[in-house]
Amino acid sequence: MTNNKATHERHKRVAAAQPGFLPVKSSLDGNSSVIKPRKRVNKNKKKSWNKFSDIQDVEEFLDDVRLQERATGGLISEKTDDSLFFVDTGETDEKDTQAQTTVKKGKHSKPLRIDLILQPDSHIPAPKNILAFQQPNAKKQRRISENAAKLAAKGVLPRREKLLQLRRAAAASGVSVKEHPVANNNPDRAFYDLWSAGTPETADPYYLEQTKKKLVKRPDRLNEKPSVLPAIEVIAPGGSYNPDFFSHQDLLREAHEVEVKKQKAEEKLARQLAVNEDKATEESTFKEQVEGLIEEEEIEPKEPEGDTEDTVIGPTATQEKKTEKQRKKEKAKRIKDLQRKAERQVIDKQQQLFQLRSIHTSLKKQEQRTKMRQAQRKAQQEAQKSMPRRLSRLKFQTPDLDVQLSDELASSLRSLKPEGSILKDRFKSLQKRNIIEPRERARFKRKYKLKYSEKRAFREIE
Amino acid sequence: MGGLQKKKYESGSVTNYVSRNKARKKLSLSLADFRRLCILKGIYPHEPKHKKKVNKGSTAPRTFYLLKDIRFLLHEPIVGKFREYKIFVRKLRKAYGKAEWSGVQRMKENKPAYKLDHIIKERYPTFIDAVRDVDDALSMSFLFSTFARTGKCHVQTIQLCRRLSVEWMNYIIASRSLRKVFLSIKGIYYQAEVLGQTITWIIPYQFAHDHPTDVDYRVMATFTELYTTLLGFVNFRLYQTLNLVYPPKLDGQGEFSLKSECEEDYALESESYSEKLSALSASLARTVPLVEDEEAELDLFPAEGVSDRQLSYIRMCCTLCRCFGGQVSWDKSLCIGSTYDETDETITHHIVDRPTIDKQYINRYYIQPQWVYDCVNGKILLPVEEYFLGVTLPPHLSPFVEESEGDYVPPEKLKLQALQRGEKPQAEDDDEEEEEDDDDDDEDDQSEDEDEANLAEMEEKRAQGKSLSVKVTPGKVKPENRMRAEQEEKAEEKRLAIMMMKKKEKYLYDKIMFGKKRHVREANKLAAKRKAHDDSNKADKKKKKKKC
Repeated sequence: MTNNKATHERHKRVAAAQPGFLPVKSSLDGNSSVIKPRKRVNKNKKKSWNKFSDIQDVEEFLDDVRLQERATGGLISEKTDDSLFFVDTGETDEKDTQAQTTVKKGKHSKPLRIDLILQPDSHIPAPKNILAFQQPNAKKQRRISENAAKLAAKGVLPRREKLLQLRRAAAASGVSVKEHPVANNNPDRAFYDLWSAGTPETADPYYLEQTKKKLVKRPDRLNEKPSVLPAIEVIAPGGSYNPDFFSHQDLLREAHEVEVKKQKAEEKLARQLAVNEDKATEESTFKEQVEGLIEEEEIEPKEPEGDTEDTVIGPTATQEKKTEKQRKKEKAKRIKDLQRKAERQVIDKQQQLFQLRSIHTSLKKQEQRTKMRQAQRKAQQEAQKSMPRRLSRLKFQTPDLDVQLSDELASSLRSLKPEGSILKDRFKSLQKRNIIEPRERARFKRKYKLKYSEKRAFREIE
Repeated sequence: MGGLQKKKYESGSVTNYVSRNKARKKLSLSLADFRRLCILKGIYPHEPKHKKKVNKGSTAPRTFYLLKDIRFLLHEPIVGKFREYKIFVRKLRKAYGKAEWSGVQRMKENKPAYKLDHIIKERYPTFIDAVRDVDDALSMSFLFSTFARTGKCHVQTIQLCRRLSVEWMNYIIASRSLRKVFLSIKGIYYQAEVLGQTITWIIPYQFAHDHPTDVDYRVMATFTELYTTLLGFVNFRLYQTLNLVYPPKLDGQGEFSLKSECEEDYALESESYSEKLSALSASLARTVPLVEDEEAELDLFPAEGVSDRQLSYIRMCCTLCRCFGGQVSWDKSLCIGSTYDETDETITHHIVDRPTIDKQYINRYYIQPQWVYDCVNGKILLPVEEYFLGVTLPPHLSPFVEESEGDYVPPEKLKLQALQRGEKPQAEDDDEEEEEDDDDDDEDDQSEDEDEANLAEMEEKRAQGKSLSVKVTPGKVKPENRMRAEQEEKAEEKRLAIMMMKKKEKYLYDKIMFGKKRHVREANKLAAKRKAHDDSNKADKKKKKKKC
């Protein structure tokens, strides 16, 4: 009952309006004969149903019925006697035997009474959870499925179904479906005998070439290896996990030498770039010399030591024409010189006979030098064969030696900590053998410079 | 006459080379595709002899390819596949953008793929060529099979690599062709002899996982693509030579014993077969059934461990032992594929990596894993005493080092060589050695003393004027050793010749001999150092003993 108070008032009024109703509070002055006449109301309108009719008893009855249906599983008046009552005949042995037999039956014994009692036996089912049954887009999906059904009736099927039907038909008839090419790195790919003799080509070689059925022959130059180095270079014996003392020391020494070289290069660079402020420069020497000579207030113009006269350095004689005499003299001199030279040459040639031994030795020295240089050049060429070639802008960086210091050596195979990574080792090996060129990671280069500008809002803040 | 003049850089070596970008444009491929093509076809860049000429006057370092090589590349059918793939990617991206999902599906199903079989046939026309080049392929394959399946590189590639490496190891076991093993700090080096070719490869330790950033993964993936194909074909042919079924199947008899109850704990059913195969413990099925030889010399049993490391060790040990005819098994709790149990009576050697072990059976040797490797390298069964649990192991020597005459040879190697020759092994214990030394010294002293005593006696007798009891006895014929006589004669002749040399020649000869003997001198020096080191060690041990 929602408006208990209102309905209550209404009932009082209605009850009071009934004939023969004796109010509790009767007026003591005996005005009971003055009963107000009952007001006539139209009960046909909806407005007056609520006000002037009393359905309390009906409502109560209906509530009772509903309660019974809800709680006790149907009207109690309709239930059988057995379900409500049982005759208590006291304890008997029969019941015990019955209980035992039920226990002996095993799995298919009757369910427990307590479970039966606790079963829901209401006639009112639980209300449906509408939210659980709600489907968003239910209408749309229904429409789509209807359309698809219509199309299927016409014969237009989606792709998947079509392929499935095709496959079924192919399987039924025994024809193989067109197979997709298997990728090269598929783990289940099959291998076959590639080098088997096979059937020789019977067709005309020219025809095969022109129609591209036969591949172009690979030039022999490409079958040579680009480097004489072996594919796998085994590490020195000092690199064993449990190395012999001397071999380990050798390896350490090699690594040490590499480090020393690096350090020397760094030091050299530092030395070259160092600015020594203690060294004397021209300026400082001049200042030292001039100290005390110049007074600070009077700065006289500096006078360099030496003559202030303009001395002429070197002859600047005006050239006069050479006279005949001078020319003749010069000619005679020239001839004399030539003669002297010729004579000298003749004498030298004769004297060479006595210089044979020294000539011999000098020749020998020269020959030796050329031989040494030839040998050196040859050795360098041989060494170049095993060195990596310069194939790109970057030079090949030799990888660091993998070595473990004496205190890092493992005592057992279990505690071994591996050094270096094989991936890097293989990569460097490929570069060393001139198979790939050394490259660096490509960096992102901007074509146009970035422009920064403030947003209008921020500009206005200032 | 302008046109008939010869222009610079139009003829000669310039026309033989082409720069990388020009080559790429000629093939109309992207740079990544071009690099991939070069790697697959085996086209390498060249360094011209006169760079300035080829580079048209500048000395800027550029990558040059031979023009004829690039022209050869134009005929390659895969180039078309690369271009198709580029277009496929473009179409796919458009379909995604337009949200045409059926189109996307259709295109994905028809993805263009290429095969490298013809390239392998072209690069390695005979089987022996392929076997010669399989070192690189093996190392790469083993390397990739240790990668984690995170998706950085195709998971399919990793699986394929794993399968191929397992097949290869099975082949090595079946053909007993393993020759040398070397445990280094970088990885494990193996050397095997297959069809007359010596093949060396390296396997990384499975627990070394640092992915360096300066390695180009795309390039390595392309190499792996090529090498996996090569290795697959090589495996097929090798299995054929041994009459084994390819792809490999486990031997029928062994299969029943392999069915253990704890199969499902380790792998999905689909993978369990491949796991068993990779366990390398069972023999492979043959196409022609073999008569079983009674060969099993030793039965090994690696002990329990917990981590993944142990698995890899076990596999390694297993391959080694089975390579030489032994039978291996391991604890059931580790991995499927164990053939027999720990409590089996017929086990002769038990490999343990821990310092101690709880239960000890009497009729087995408990040894550390290095014993297996040293035995393999020495090709004989080494004495087990040096490899017991808790003992300091002898150093693991590299079998790849071959010492020439006069070089320093570590004493362990000398011992090994002695064992190989069949000489009796000398006692290694320090105590025994010390005792021996003492005995020797005593003996020497004794003999010396005896001689002295004898001489003293004789002197006395003479002094006393007594006739010495020395008698003249008939001489004994010493059998002439012909060999020795010849050698002595030769030595005599050599000495005479040296004496007769002129001063100059003698000088030269001395110089040469000095140089030759340098090696020997250095070796002696190192040996002396080693001896000093050992002696100091012994002294320390003696002191420690005396203290305790």
